[in-house]
Amino acid sequence: MIKNPSHPKKGHLKTKDCRFTKAGFDYIDYKDVDTLQRFLNDQGKILPRRVTGTSAKFQRQFSRAVRRARFLALIPYVAENVR
Amino acid sequence: MKKNFYEITYIINPVLDDEQYKEVVDQVSKLIESKDGELVEVDEWGLKRFAYEIAGKSNGYYVNAYFNAPSEAVEPVERQLRINDNILRYLTLKYDSKMLAYYDKRKKGELPTIFEETEEEE
Repeated sequence: MIKNPSHPKKGHLKTKDCRFTKAGFDYIDYKDVDTLQRFLNDQGKILPRRVTGTSAKFQRQFSRAVRRARFLALIPYVAENVR
Repeated sequence: MKKNFYEITYIINPVLDDEQYKEVVDQVSKLIESKDGELVEVDEWGLKRFAYEIAGKSNGYYVNAYFNAPSEAVEPVERQLRINDNILRYLTLKYDSKMLAYYDKRKKGELPTIFEETEEEE
């Protein structure tokens, strides 16, 4: 990431790992709503990779799984938030 | 004939009663078998609440099934599901090698989870 040893941010930045890779996933299942929900915000939006650290490969698979789950009404397209 | 592994999930109209659910499930199973498919597993999830309304309904009877079938079988099966008024929605997926590996692991209960890691990081 940062190569310069005197860079002020060095040591503060966390390198994020893809959780799906770490856990050894083959395929992200749309039926596994609990797992999917961990990568969504309260409104049911997909969290960006820069927040979750998911690899590009799994982010694609994940968003596909989310779209399938939404189609079958397992998770909402838009969650109405009660404030 | 070459057969593929498929997964199908469909939602039955919740206004029916238990016997009618069975009938619809039987109908669909027979339909798949009549097209030269072999059912591997039929899993009825039962009534579940929708995350949003579908056709004015707030819940539905979910059925999840796995079967081996030639690719020509899928189109007529989907067609029948579309025609059937008792079926609100369906989703068919063809399994590739990674998804099959996932399916085997799920059968054995060896699925990877991300739970512990998420907790320690927060």
